[in-house]
Amino acid sequence: MSEPSPHRRPQTFKLDDPGVVVMDADEHGRLARGAVRVTPEADPALLPVPVDVPLVPARRGFRWGALFFTALGGLVLLGLGLGVTHLIEDLFARNEELGFVGLVCAVVAALALFVIIARETLGLARLATIEKLHLRATEVLVSDDRAASRAVVQDLVRLAHRNPQLARARAALQNHAGDIIDGADMIRLAERELMTPLDREARRLVSSAAQRVSIVTAVSPRALVDVLFVFVASLRMIRQLAQLYGARPGALGMIRLLRHVIAHLAVTGGMAASDSMIQQMLGHGIAAKLSQRLGEGILNGLLTARLGLAAIDVTRPLPFTALPRPALADLATDLLRKREDGEE
Amino acid sequence: MPPGFSNIVEEARRSARALWDYGEHFFNPTVRLGVTGLSRAGKTVFITALVHGLIRDGRFPVFEAFASGRIARARLEPQPDDAVPRFDYENHVRTLIEDRSWPTSTVDISELRLVIDYQRHNGADRTLTLDIVDYPGEWLLDLPLLNKSFEQWSAESLALSRQGPRAKLAASWHAQLATLKPEQREDEQLALDSARLFTGYLRACRDERFAMSLLPPGRFLMPGSLAGSPALTFAPLDVPAGGTAPDGSLWAMMARRYEAYKDVVVRPFFRDHFARLDRQIVLVDALSAFNAGPEALRDLEAALAGVLECFRIGRSTLLSNLFRPRIDRILFAATKADHLHQSSHDRLEAILRRTVAKAAERAEYAGAVIDVVALAAVRATREAQVARGRDRLPSILGTPAAGESNGGETFDGNTEVATFPGDLPADPEELFSGDDAFAGLSSQPAEKADFRFLRFRPPQLDRQEGDEPMLPHIRLDRALQFLIGDKLQ
Repeated sequence: MSEPSPHRRPQTFKLDDPGVVVMDADEHGRLARGAVRVTPEADPALLPVPVDVPLVPARRGFRWGALFFTALGGLVLLGLGLGVTHLIEDLFARNEELGFVGLVCAVVAALALFVIIARETLGLARLATIEKLHLRATEVLVSDDRAASRAVVQDLVRLAHRNPQLARARAALQNHAGDIIDGADMIRLAERELMTPLDREARRLVSSAAQRVSIVTAVSPRALVDVLFVFVASLRMIRQLAQLYGARPGALGMIRLLRHVIAHLAVTGGMAASDSMIQQMLGHGIAAKLSQRLGEGILNGLLTARLGLAAIDVTRPLPFTALPRPALADLATDLLRKREDGEE
Repeated sequence: MPPGFSNIVEEARRSARALWDYGEHFFNPTVRLGVTGLSRAGKTVFITALVHGLIRDGRFPVFEAFASGRIARARLEPQPDDAVPRFDYENHVRTLIEDRSWPTSTVDISELRLVIDYQRHNGADRTLTLDIVDYPGEWLLDLPLLNKSFEQWSAESLALSRQGPRAKLAASWHAQLATLKPEQREDEQLALDSARLFTGYLRACRDERFAMSLLPPGRFLMPGSLAGSPALTFAPLDVPAGGTAPDGSLWAMMARRYEAYKDVVVRPFFRDHFARLDRQIVLVDALSAFNAGPEALRDLEAALAGVLECFRIGRSTLLSNLFRPRIDRILFAATKADHLHQSSHDRLEAILRRTVAKAAERAEYAGAVIDVVALAAVRATREAQVARGRDRLPSILGTPAAGESNGGETFDGNTEVATFPGDLPADPEELFSGDDAFAGLSSQPAEKADFRFLRFRPPQLDRQEGDEPMLPHIRLDRALQFLIGDKLQ
């Protein structure tokens, strides 16, 4: 197709004109010389609009539980403070030097506690930022709002600033900021630019965790070791994924994240059946016949991979639209291929 | 102009009404949606399509409350004002669907109340009342007159009528004006002649070939019940801007009638229908200005800027809700987006943004939320690619209205055509760069024009099981989400 000229003049063709042929896009008839071909297009308004169910249902109403734990925490802290004060007073009463040592210990402990709390709060806040970003991006994809998309991309760039590998992608994205791009397209562009390298890394993380789990399960002597190892490996994987996508959750953040991942897994659990899970399990039923341990190992690996996918959905600041969502089947093939490579 | 006593009284009356409304709608909020647009911008069609879609379960995937099923139903209710005719919704729908023609231009004000029963996110049942007013777009042009004296208005009208293509159209009125002396004795016959010629000039400017927008006073074009009354019998005179009129002169008479026009016609209209708006959609028909030429586009820009100055815009606070309601969301909508292929909608939006730049900036500065959208309340066309040789034109398919012509051909209203209306420029500034920025019908013969947007008939819709068919639209749902989505959280 030639470059369009700077300004094309208006033209009108009557459809009942003998020189005008109306045909669908998939017809490829030969046209007479000079004939005009009109191809009606699908009506975009009639195409279904996919609306994502929000990952984490927004909290509404008063949080009595939070209030309870806050109040309880306050009481415990007060009690602790009282106890420490008594202890130090007793120490001073017994011996002045001992008292000073106690005081210093208490001050250092208080300082450390303060720093830990600050760090945890920061981690939680960062997690909340990412969740909110995800929600906002989903909204923009639907509403196609240009100003909101700019704001989302701005925040995203700020988030990605911590990751030095994304410097080039960030610059490319900022170059587009002045262009006239529809809101939804802007989000898709940001996803393509910023998330591609991260997604690749995330996929690698999940499949390596899954492999590790399946190998350990296959060779471990006791069930308890399996369980412990799967738990530790999953936690490690979730933490790595969260760090990769820009959050650095502390201990509380991890608990919150774990809750969301499990909630998400419960929501999407139904999809696992339609996923190639069954097929995978049937396929490896044969492997299980050959060796029970091998079968267990593969199953555990697949479950870890599923958990990893849920964790990706929760920790990723943008929903999957322009890029394909990694499917369990891809990871399972990774898992098996490595396995086969290893066994050969 | 210093705030005179009448202004203060006016202000107090508006505040009292606002306070009354606030008390009345404390639990179930009322949203007053101002559908603003100059004549032929598509206000009536917009209101009809909006009501029809909400009542009949239209296809609104982007309108969250509707798509997620939280709106139980929407229904029409008797309107609050007993003195205003009801918006003739049923007839307009019939005209659109059965006759396949657009509603005729609105000649009088009308009102409609739509009640939406919905459930909030937290489960509480609520109703939202939406009051919508339809009126002739010409009347909107009167609002800027509120802040102008007769002398100011005369000077501006005269200066405008001597520019560009208007000078030709105003020739006969100018000739009569030259024989008048403002200081001469008042004379009813002279005033009548003058008003008649002036109205004739305004009417001529509205022709499709010129498509001028800035034509106050609006009641001259659409007099409603006031035709022939003294309040409508005046015309601009060639008077100095700062002077005072001698008693008993023609000048004094015209000035008196101008003030009467403002008092009798403009102020009540503004007070009853615009002073208390919560949300506003500004419908702009940019396409007819593209048809006509750069002068029409500049005229449109000036008319919109003048009209939008009159509204109270800004962030809503409790206090402002009580005494001085403000518009906190404005949507600028380029209507008739179905006359363009969707690949050009972004450019149309960019041009509209440039056209309303001043008003939009002022609104944003005041704290209101604004957005720009290209929409079609009723979609009359389908899209198609036209291939001729190596050229590929993103075109639209539709049935032009009877009497429309293009390329020397006049359509009969039954022939379907594929038309490519011309490329909109990527940079909106190109259109505003002077008198020969692009060629329109006002200065060139039809075959030289850079754009040709035909008027299409409403689409052919199939009835399903005796039910009224849905009206197809473009981005009407996005407009709704922006305008009332947050009230339905």
